Amino acid sequence: MYPQQVHSYLRQFFNETNCPILGEDQHYLTVQLTVDIDKRIMNRPFYWQYVEATNSEANPAQVTFITNQTASAGNLYGEAIHFGSPRMNQLFQATRELGAYVQLFEKVDNEIGQVILTPWLGVNFKVSYCCDRTKETLYSFGINLLTGIIKEDFQETICTSEFDTVPADNAFHVQYIIKPLRALERLHATIEQIIERDDHSWATEAKKRWQHDQRVLDYFYEEEEEKPECYDIEKKALEEQYDTKIKIEIINGGLFYLY
Amino acid sequence: MKIERSSEWEEGFINKLHEHGKWDSWTLYKMNYDIVKMKLIPDFTGLQATKYLPNLKPLKHQLEAAETVIERMNGKAILADEVGLGKTIEAGLVLKEYLIRGLVKKALILAPASLVNQWVEELNIKFHIPAVAYKKNVQIERHDVLIMSMDTAKKSPHKERIYEQGYDMIIIDEAHKLKNHKTQIYEFVQSLKKKFCLLLTATPIQNDVFELFYLISLLKPGHLGNYDTFQAAFSASKHDLEHDDFLKELVNQVMVRNRREDTGIEWTNRRVQIIPIEFTKEEEEVYNLLGTLQNTGSFSMITLQKEMCSSKEATGLTLTKMLEDNAQPQEIEGILAKLMALEVNSKAKKTLEIVEQAKDKVIIFTEYRATQIYLQWYLHSNGITSVLFNGKYNKSKRDYMKHLFKERAQVLIATEAGGEGINLQFCHHVINYDLPWNPMKLEQRIGRVHRLGQEHDVHIYNLAIVNTIEENILALLHTKIDVFEKVVGDLDAILSNFKESV
Repeated sequence: MYPQQVHSYLRQFFNETNCPILGEDQHYLTVQLTVDIDKRIMNRPFYWQYVEATNSEANPAQVTFITNQTASAGNLYGEAIHFGSPRMNQLFQATRELGAYVQLFEKVDNEIGQVILTPWLGVNFKVSYCCDRTKETLYSFGINLLTGIIKEDFQETICTSEFDTVPADNAFHVQYIIKPLRALERLHATIEQIIERDDHSWATEAKKRWQHDQRVLDYFYEEEEEKPECYDIEKKALEEQYDTKIKIEIINGGLFYLY
Repeated sequence: MKIERSSEWEEGFINKLHEHGKWDSWTLYKMNYDIVKMKLIPDFTGLQATKYLPNLKPLKHQLEAAETVIERMNGKAILADEVGLGKTIEAGLVLKEYLIRGLVKKALILAPASLVNQWVEELNIKFHIPAVAYKKNVQIERHDVLIMSMDTAKKSPHKERIYEQGYDMIIIDEAHKLKNHKTQIYEFVQSLKKKFCLLLTATPIQNDVFELFYLISLLKPGHLGNYDTFQAAFSASKHDLEHDDFLKELVNQVMVRNRREDTGIEWTNRRVQIIPIEFTKEEEEVYNLLGTLQNTGSFSMITLQKEMCSSKEATGLTLTKMLEDNAQPQEIEGILAKLMALEVNSKAKKTLEIVEQAKDKVIIFTEYRATQIYLQWYLHSNGITSVLFNGKYNKSKRDYMKHLFKERAQVLIATEAGGEGINLQFCHHVINYDLPWNPMKLEQRIGRVHRLGQEHDVHIYNLAIVNTIEENILALLHTKIDVFEKVVGDLDAILSNFKESV
């Protein structure tokens, strides 16, 4: 993410979360945070506990984020932010929490007349294969809540469409037949099927690497009857490093009424 | 194999459905998805960092080194590339990768004072990491990536504040300074928590492979027992392959070393010449007189002789100090008088010759400030402009001197500390006016010019005055270099045999 992208990301985030931007140029951005956003990204839980306990006036922070430290004038006082900085990760985390559940109705042109919107459940999954290395894959599924048909790459299909939080006047949205939770189960099953059919030689190879490293560790402590603490620490570290598992995580999802 | 399913989202979704509560915005929903997509790690191997560093074009060996550290060594490694191959880039790539993956939140870099600013620049400009140098009013807590000089860090109150911070990653530049485990700095580093740790040094060993012990012990404490049992076990069993195999394993588990010849890059050559110089009769007389001084007090004879091989100015300074101390003022005064009467400095004369013949930029390394000043005057009186370079200069002065050297002066005269950390690939003549005792220093000096970007063969002139202590130093250097090369050869054999077997 280049500095300009970091900058636009910040602008978009603060606009969406109703934090007024007080000052800006190419390389920095000064924003007045709301109470909610302050709590989510500024990492000062004790301050908020104090405010709530004493019933004082809340004073959410005003922050200047410097998006391009090298290009900016040296006399700016603020927080340098970049892709990889903890603050950026907190913003991503906040986006995660605030962009998790949607219910949306596709916008339809008034001219067309009465239209019918079909209910879909769209869910975005992240599957991680973890050992001493990691591989992640994104799956985006949509399931038609009338017919049960599953569509892949759902997010890519709908990301350019326009949506509203209430249906348009000339649109009639059909109630779902398949319950969303049942539909979610079906999607989970689909993912698990994909995983089952996949190649898992990565796990066997990880195990081999683990055994190899454990052998070297054991060699150096062969002489000792009573293994010292550092042996156990190292052994545990190896275990944590090489342990294989597959994680399925839902990034976000929602009900989509599509035309 | 276990599959972990997180039920968090589902629970929240159920709540939203039942409460008919406020749903999230489509824009934030899309932003969420896009960020996850961008941060995805699509393969088991390979770095994500390069996607976000468009202006950086790392070389193949640098990418491989960073990948090896992350994929095979779990972020704890000794980066031991030869001088000039870009260890800083490799370290920067590893740091950036861990920052992006959220595995490192706070990092501390310890470097010699003269290199701190260079680190700040490299990390900020090449890696977009907002690293800050520690200075008096800097608040340590406010900065996630901090660069501090080793000398400052090991002392209180800094030492304690560093322990408090709980850095996830420690990077140590010129880590061969940690070879001696009895030092304050070694103990300090040893007691730091090291989740991820990089030790950077072009010269991890000097005399024997066992010196690696202390560096390896910082990364894998306890593996090698203590130094004595380690040495006993591996010396005795030189013929026992099993022992050697495991030692090889251990070294390969923690060390990455690239040599020039492995990088596939075409390197220019080094042409080393030893230039013997003869004292004039007068100089010889003074040199010999120095040898007769009985009671030199706290000053060593060797120092005086070495200074005499450098310049009368350097020698004079020491003699004058001795006068204040000493019980033999007359002898010393006598020598001082003869010293000051000298009109010719044979070595300086030879130096002038070399500079005039080169008709190109030249760097002169000297150990003495007094010689440095004398040489500048001497060259100037022969129509040659020069700039000085010292360890004490601050960043802007160093940059300015480098600029002057590039654009205006023919010669740069540097002291040892001044030689650290400047890159001068546009120059390819190096005069070692004074020879150091330690061959590593020679390597470091040459590394200022013989590095990536050097387009010409590098000419090195080692000046030594015949029939003096300098001849001894020269012989010693060669022995040490041979030992070094053999030992490094041993090291490289350990590392390359491993590569072949993989």
